[in-house]
Amino acid sequence: MKYVEENPDGVSKADIVVGIPSLNEAPSISFPTEQADKGLIKYYRNHSVVIINCDNDSTDGTREAFLGVKTQTPKIYISTEPGVSGKGNNLRNLFLKAVELEAKAIIVADADLRSMTPLWIRNLCEPIFDNYDFVAPLYIRHKYDVTVTNNIAYPLTRSLYGRRVRQPIGGDVGFSGNLAKQFLESEFWSDKVGAFGIDVWMTTIALRSRSSVIQSFMGKPKIHKVRDLDSHLEMMFEDVISTVFDLMIQYESFWREVKWSRPTAVFGFGLGDVEMPPPVEMDTHGLWEKFISGMRSDWNLYSSVISNENLNKLEEVLDLPVGGFEFPAGLWAKIIYDFAISYRNRSMDRHELVRAMIPLHYGKTLSFVTETHAMNNQQVEEFIEDQCVQFEKAKSYLVEKWFA
Amino acid sequence: MSKILIVDDEEGIRMLYSMELQDEGHTVVTLPDGKGLMEVIDEEKPDCIILDIKMREYNGLDLLQQVRKKYYDLPVILNSAYSSFKVDLKTVAADYYVVKSSDLTELKEKLRLALECSIPK
Repeated sequence: MKYVEENPDGVSKADIVVGIPSLNEAPSISFPTEQADKGLIKYYRNHSVVIINCDNDSTDGTREAFLGVKTQTPKIYISTEPGVSGKGNNLRNLFLKAVELEAKAIIVADADLRSMTPLWIRNLCEPIFDNYDFVAPLYIRHKYDVTVTNNIAYPLTRSLYGRRVRQPIGGDVGFSGNLAKQFLESEFWSDKVGAFGIDVWMTTIALRSRSSVIQSFMGKPKIHKVRDLDSHLEMMFEDVISTVFDLMIQYESFWREVKWSRPTAVFGFGLGDVEMPPPVEMDTHGLWEKFISGMRSDWNLYSSVISNENLNKLEEVLDLPVGGFEFPAGLWAKIIYDFAISYRNRSMDRHELVRAMIPLHYGKTLSFVTETHAMNNQQVEEFIEDQCVQFEKAKSYLVEKWFA
Repeated sequence: MSKILIVDDEEGIRMLYSMELQDEGHTVVTLPDGKGLMEVIDEEKPDCIILDIKMREYNGLDLLQQVRKKYYDLPVILNSAYSSFKVDLKTVAADYYVVKSSDLTELKEKLRLALECSIPK
């Protein structure tokens, strides 16, 4: 892949690279750039450092906004060629540039972050200098935020690859120069990875390569630009789930041997009072309607993808009233595994298949909201842990059917 | 069977767990607190540690971070009379957190999972 580069300071080598991927983030990008600069000055004054905006040829002046931020840290602007978009494509350019600069540590921070602090730089970077290869973020998030993470990405990644990375699609990560090289050498890349699939792709490759992985507590909750939740979720859902399924095919001999799961080390304590995330409102009636509507329109597809036993149980779930709605975690796990097998078998168009999972996801989210309504954050974490154990227990079902 | 290291400042707990786990065929090593923990791990090479949190001079959560740093894949089960420590993010580095009880069913189940866990090299 080629990229356009603007390197006004002539940086040719850097120990630490902070990468900020963007597409039309002119109003937002100055904030993470300033925070990165403050963090690099405060904690890494004696290292060679650079901030790189890896952009998608934005047309809203992102480049000018980024280069215009007054920083002590030198900056580089790189961009995909016109017409090439996607966060993953931006990060691929970042990997290339970081390797060229012989970077020891690379940190990624989203361009629309509103809660980033200079400490994030230290917490994502410091473990790399302590010989870890991949640093995943640990944020306090509202229980109804990141439903794809809570209900699919975390339990599935954990049951497949055996390591508990709580935010496998967290977005803000740190990794070593060595791992950047492994990313570039990876045999698998796709359009979905080039878009929002990149985060779970990086996490999975780190786990698959047995790189040392650590989670780092960020202190502040992740707050970013307000998005159109429905359209963002559907776009992100397809990229993430397709990537997870593609990697399952790629790494089947690895995850077949994984049994149960192990924790990671954790970094970043002693931050004082922890800030709580802003509330997230959920429209339970809207979730119910999208679930039921999907069941009606996609039932024939479900009948050909989901095993008879699981389909019968799904019918039972459909009979439950919205007030007492519950989508059992064990059934949910087996249905996800049914979809993964169908994806592998190419039993139908893969785009259609993954799209048809979205109404089921709305149903699972409704169940999650109903069941955790009165729970505090800690109780919700325990609830999610129990859900993950259901995925791990159902793994034998996956292995038996996948390798039949 | 496996070698289990129990770190707990209550003698009664060490005795009870030792008997129960030995009955299941495990070899048991005990420590009354965190003193010399890393050396004992080096010498005994346990397959799993059952680690108390609130000990007189030691904090099990801090000991856990030391263990995890040096022995990344050594299973550790936090075992405390208090459930309130669950809110501490340091517990994320443990394989499991089990609240103490005279009924050891949950502890034994979590021990089984920790010992059975396998990730290819």
